[in-house]
Amino acid sequence: MLTRYVEAASSYAQDIDGLITLITVLVGFWFLVAQAVLFGLIFRFRAKQGVKAQYISGEEKSQKRWVTIPHMLVLVCDVFIIVGAVRVWTDVKQTLPPADHTVRIVSQQWAWTFIQPGPDGKLDTEDDIKTIDELHVKEGATYHFQLLSRDVLHSFSVPAFRLKQDAVPGRLITGWFKPTRPGAYDIQCAEICGIGHGIMAARLFVETPEEHQKWMEKLSPVARAPTPQAEAEQENTPPAEGASAGAGAE
Amino acid sequence: MSRAGYELPRSAFHLAVAALLLVGASGRAAGDAARGKELFANCAVCHGASGEGNEKLKAPAIAAMPQWYVEAQLQKFQTGARGAHPDDIEGLRMRPMSMTVKGEANISAVAAFVAALAPVRPAATLSGGDANIGKATYAVCAACHGPAGEGNPALKSPPLTQTQDWYLMAQLTKFKTGVRGTRPEDASGATMRPMALMLADEQAMKNVLAYVRTLAR
Repeated sequence: MLTRYVEAASSYAQDIDGLITLITVLVGFWFLVAQAVLFGLIFRFRAKQGVKAQYISGEEKSQKRWVTIPHMLVLVCDVFIIVGAVRVWTDVKQTLPPADHTVRIVSQQWAWTFIQPGPDGKLDTEDDIKTIDELHVKEGATYHFQLLSRDVLHSFSVPAFRLKQDAVPGRLITGWFKPTRPGAYDIQCAEICGIGHGIMAARLFVETPEEHQKWMEKLSPVARAPTPQAEAEQENTPPAEGASAGAGAE
Repeated sequence: MSRAGYELPRSAFHLAVAALLLVGASGRAAGDAARGKELFANCAVCHGASGEGNEKLKAPAIAAMPQWYVEAQLQKFQTGARGAHPDDIEGLRMRPMSMTVKGEANISAVAAFVAALAPVRPAATLSGGDANIGKATYAVCAACHGPAGEGNPALKSPPLTQTQDWYLMAQLTKFKTGVRGTRPEDASGATMRPMALMLADEQAMKNVLAYVRTLAR
């Protein structure tokens, strides 16, 4: 239902949407029932000529039922909501599936810096790819993020992923996401962080593996420079069977 | 007589047109000034109501900085020629703020307002610099920034005497480490970077900034 208004582009977006829909339907149903009863009773017991108003203490069983039965039914609904919420919370926040990649997200007034490993797959090496206000990720890969703040509280929010995580100065907060749908999406700060909070925006690009590889090769400082080891391996590798003679040594 | 009678209204017409143009121009200038003041409200949050700067926020004094310089820096921040390096914390903060000034007319209006502010003479915050040694080093800086640190618009070199020493130190460090002046679009920054690299260490920077302080008096 919500995807009609905000695209769902992560593996857990549908689960969170499902939970929000469940809460909306259950709470909405009881809201409508309560309003109907309220206005129904107002109408039924409206002022009539010759009828004196009476005070009802609510101590009789027939009167108490108006409170106890809906109360029990609402509690049953609460059980459904709690079970759904705990399930989603456990899957999204309490579980850390194995990562294909890790990205470090540094928030500050009023910009996002994204640091991704280069071809070596490790952070804090010379081939790291650093981007400002632009995060490029691969469709179908599971990412761990390491969220930091350089100054004040921020909140990393990606509506299309249904992801929102506070960044707290002095803490490194780990979370995860798995992009499922290529496209360009908004990143925003969801915690008031100063005069530039409203313009602390960035873009998230979910790319196919091929597109993402091209992007990495374009940006990584050492991605296109073959290492001596790779060159030596290439020289020692015999041509594949059936390979065209013109494709190699020529 | 008839000729004189014909010329009078013609002159009056010319006068009226000139007056209208003058009124229009002054009205536009007044509008620009008002717009500049309006836009400056966003700058004042960090740079101060008088453009005096705020060290705690690492926001330098900008009062009375030349209009061309403020315009150029706003454009650089907007295009990412400045303030888009992952290690430029203050620049990254300034960049989104620069983007709130939309269009050349607004950039000019706020830059003109900043240029018209009363200049500040910030107090020294650095210690340990030797102005005598710095004077010799400054000979290189003087080629672009002028012997009195007055700046040179033809070389896109800003004045140095109206800005705090801690800010100049931070910028020299950024130029030296490549945080600033390494983007291909930043031609004047690329000119400044090798100059900053000539300053061997922190002491050399302190020395030259101590001399710049003497120019500000």
